[in-house]
Amino acid sequence: MTTVFRWIFVVLAAYILLIAIVSLLTTRATPEIWGYYMVEDGGGSFPITHWENVIGRSKSADLNIPLSTVSNNHAILSRYDEDRWTLKDLGSKNGSFVNGRQLDPDKRYLIEPGDEIVTGDVYSTVTPPSLEESHNNEVMRSMDKEPVAPWKILLAITLFQAMTIVQLVLAMGEEITVSAVLSIVILSAVMWGYVTFFKAMGRKGFEMEMIAFFMSTINLAVTTSFDPTKTLTELIALLLGLALMIFMCIYLRDLDRTRKLRPVLLILAVVALLINLIFGKAQFGAVNWIRIGGTSVQPSEIVKIAFICIGAGTLEELYDKRNTIVYAAFSLFCLGCLALMSDFGTALIFFATYLVVSFLRSGDFSRLILTGVGAGAMGLMVLKFSAYIADRFAAWGHVWDPEFMDGQGYQQTRTMSFGAGGGLLGLGAGNGDLKYVGASNTDLVFGFVTEEWGLIIAILLVLCIITLCIFAVMSIVAGRSTFYTICACGAATIFMVQTMLNVFGSVDLFPLTGVTFPFVSTGGTSLMTSWAMLAFFKAADMRRDASLAVRGEEAWHA
Amino acid sequence: MRKQERRAWICLFIALILFVGTGIFTYRFVRDGSKWASFYGNTQIYTDGQINRGTVLDRNDELLLDCTPEGIFYSDDWTTRVATVHAVGDTRGNVPSGAINLFASQLVGYDLLNGTYNTNAAGKTIKLTIDAEANRTAYNALNGRTGAVGVYNWKTGEIVCMVSTPSFDPYEGAPDDEGSYYFNNFLSGTMTPGSTFKLVTAAAVIENLPDRGDFTFDCDGVNEFNGTDFTDINEHGEVDFREALAVSCNGAFGALTREVGGRTMKEYAKKTGLSESLTFDGIETAAGSFKFPTDDDIRLSWAGIGQSQDLVNPCTMMVYMGAIANGGEPVQPSLIKDTSFIDEIRGAKSLGRYIDESTAAELRDMMKNNVVENYGEDNYPGMDLYAKSGTAETGGEDSDAWFVGFTDDENAPYAFVVWVKEGGGGSSVAGPIARDVIQTLQHTSL
Repeated sequence: MTTVFRWIFVVLAAYILLIAIVSLLTTRATPEIWGYYMVEDGGGSFPITHWENVIGRSKSADLNIPLSTVSNNHAILSRYDEDRWTLKDLGSKNGSFVNGRQLDPDKRYLIEPGDEIVTGDVYSTVTPPSLEESHNNEVMRSMDKEPVAPWKILLAITLFQAMTIVQLVLAMGEEITVSAVLSIVILSAVMWGYVTFFKAMGRKGFEMEMIAFFMSTINLAVTTSFDPTKTLTELIALLLGLALMIFMCIYLRDLDRTRKLRPVLLILAVVALLINLIFGKAQFGAVNWIRIGGTSVQPSEIVKIAFICIGAGTLEELYDKRNTIVYAAFSLFCLGCLALMSDFGTALIFFATYLVVSFLRSGDFSRLILTGVGAGAMGLMVLKFSAYIADRFAAWGHVWDPEFMDGQGYQQTRTMSFGAGGGLLGLGAGNGDLKYVGASNTDLVFGFVTEEWGLIIAILLVLCIITLCIFAVMSIVAGRSTFYTICACGAATIFMVQTMLNVFGSVDLFPLTGVTFPFVSTGGTSLMTSWAMLAFFKAADMRRDASLAVRGEEAWHA
Repeated sequence: MRKQERRAWICLFIALILFVGTGIFTYRFVRDGSKWASFYGNTQIYTDGQINRGTVLDRNDELLLDCTPEGIFYSDDWTTRVATVHAVGDTRGNVPSGAINLFASQLVGYDLLNGTYNTNAAGKTIKLTIDAEANRTAYNALNGRTGAVGVYNWKTGEIVCMVSTPSFDPYEGAPDDEGSYYFNNFLSGTMTPGSTFKLVTAAAVIENLPDRGDFTFDCDGVNEFNGTDFTDINEHGEVDFREALAVSCNGAFGALTREVGGRTMKEYAKKTGLSESLTFDGIETAAGSFKFPTDDDIRLSWAGIGQSQDLVNPCTMMVYMGAIANGGEPVQPSLIKDTSFIDEIRGAKSLGRYIDESTAAELRDMMKNNVVENYGEDNYPGMDLYAKSGTAETGGEDSDAWFVGFTDDENAPYAFVVWVKEGGGGSSVAGPIARDVIQTLQHTSL
């Protein structure tokens, strides 16, 4: 039976993921038009496609006025509500004026439709789109290729889940528990419930959730194969993550509300890390666990969510020194805590994310602060981890040498050996032997999946992560605010760096650092965080009516 | 926002690294998967450190090794076990040339698509090219002496006999775990070739001395040259090139070597494959080593007759015999029988040209002459034999006995090498071993 199943699993997985991936990568959103920026004296009118726009001479300015009296980054025009905008001068050389009144730099001023804006010696006004223009844009957007309907994929995943249960029972016999089987059934039911409910609410894009549900199915299968008594806990974490994701999606719809939540998140994150430092339990050398009422929790996982939110900012905030300093200080604090916890893998993830987010944020002046903090963080990491690194790097690239094979390279050689034993199709869920190696269901999960599910499915999982990233980058073009852009890119970076460290570490392309594969590795906190972070991708999904994290046009124009 | 839009490419850059890294891993997975999967740490196919599936047979389907989850089973016959252990290998991995080591991934039935997944978990059967009966004959003929016997079909490349002694029973391991028992003299040994090396010198002479027909040498049995004696057992009197090989005249070949010169000799040791190692089926043989000084005629002469610092590997010597038999172009040896139709059609793989076809023909003729004139055709009944003996002085109690050559019969196209350490005379000691093995092969291949 397994012999036939192996083929069907691979075909189903390829079908599910390729449809989702192709749909995500081929459907693009036509930018929404929020208003027009009319430049007088024949300067023309620019459609405003973002909530936040830089007016300036610089080529990267959203409203590009190539005249010498206009500064490179002259002012920021931000959406306030239905018809109104705010203008903030960025300390331009010739200043900005509204209705003849000069604006104080770095203060926001409300602009009514028809107000006369002067930047340098350029006169302009902001007008809301006419009904006809709105309509035309609406028609344009409705002509966009729609996200693929979820039903076929849903059926395929359900079949995959049903077969997974059969395969696990076949392979594990009496070892399997009722709760493990039930967990997969519940996952399936929740998946249907989720899609049906939000579909009824008028949402259309479910590819990302489908990918996540598929990866979670593999997670539950891996967990069951490793220890079926843990599957239920894993499911509960998944449901918490899903709930958190839905909550975040809805919360993220309102940018102001989200921004106000940030100080709370910051405090929570700081407290969580401090608690970890004080009460943390050492596990595999890193002190990154705390126990709450019988369950182990990894605070650094949850802090990732806050780390992204605090790193993200609206365009105005990116030009705000205070905001940058808070972000830089918080990053340094996080990295410091991780260094004290001796958690090199997670520190590396935070550091990489810091670099990417800083790169996205950095303007002329903030660059200095961000680079300085980056260098400081780097120094901190080197100082703290140099001994550890020297140790781990010794075996790197040499795990097959007799001196490391059964020592420093033990986990990697087993990952590769058992993984190769799985071939392209795998030995069948529950049939693997890598599970008898420590941390196989977390740090070595790539090998675990390769052995039991085959290399094709394992690679598809990596492609899923890459797809989420490409989608995040693609959706920026139609993005409303840099806040969402940075959130999506930050989350994508975390996912990708984690995947990289996990996969490359376990197969000796990089020293083994012991981090989890998003969605796939066993571990409640990790799975929950993966789901929650999906909200950042959902919030960047600007396809018409696609995402539950984005308020539709109807709501705006109502 | 445009600036942030543009800078988001950095995420694509990270995605690219992830993609490329996964690609590199996949490439390695395809390239090294069989090696990884058959690693002893893989408990799917190793029970208590012992491979748990697969069967090894000889060319005639005689069972040599059966790997099961219950343990490893060799032939029931002691002689078979001892005579084939260097080809089959032992579970402790002491014999690197053993099939259990070399072909582990084939034994477990690994393939890229299925990995080690196996519907019946019995693994695969691999058929070795060796003939267990011939190995037993060779082992018995060596009769407790240290030595090596190798025979291969010079048309197909199949190694039909490979015995190295001292040997051991894989069920019991080597006495005191001594390394020499595990060592495969045929594949990994290098020893003084003695007069068998004259076949290399002869090739150099044929291809470099057009007037070799006029060559004569007056052998007085002592053959003093520049104060050094190149003694022969007999006083050969006046010999020409052909007779010099037949009687294996050291004096004459010393002179011929000097005529050819050190540089050319070195070139021929390489051309005939003797100073290189040979790779096949994942085996790498030892490489011979030779020193042909261009400024020391005495040592050059010794080197030309297979003494001095000459060291040769028996397997490469056997392949050189195959080259002479096959018109100067030997086929690559192999230890696994071709199972696929495609391999059968493709046939044996050539190792390229060693010597000219005419050179091979002339050597062949001279080697036949050796048998007729010296070793006696009557001693080798029922076979069309071409050979050269060797008696190598190694400073041991007795000389090492060599007998190399080939047969050219329809059902017995075999090139062979026999080496008996401190065995004594080449043709008298090593010759009969070659004869017994080839007769056995003629019998079993009928």
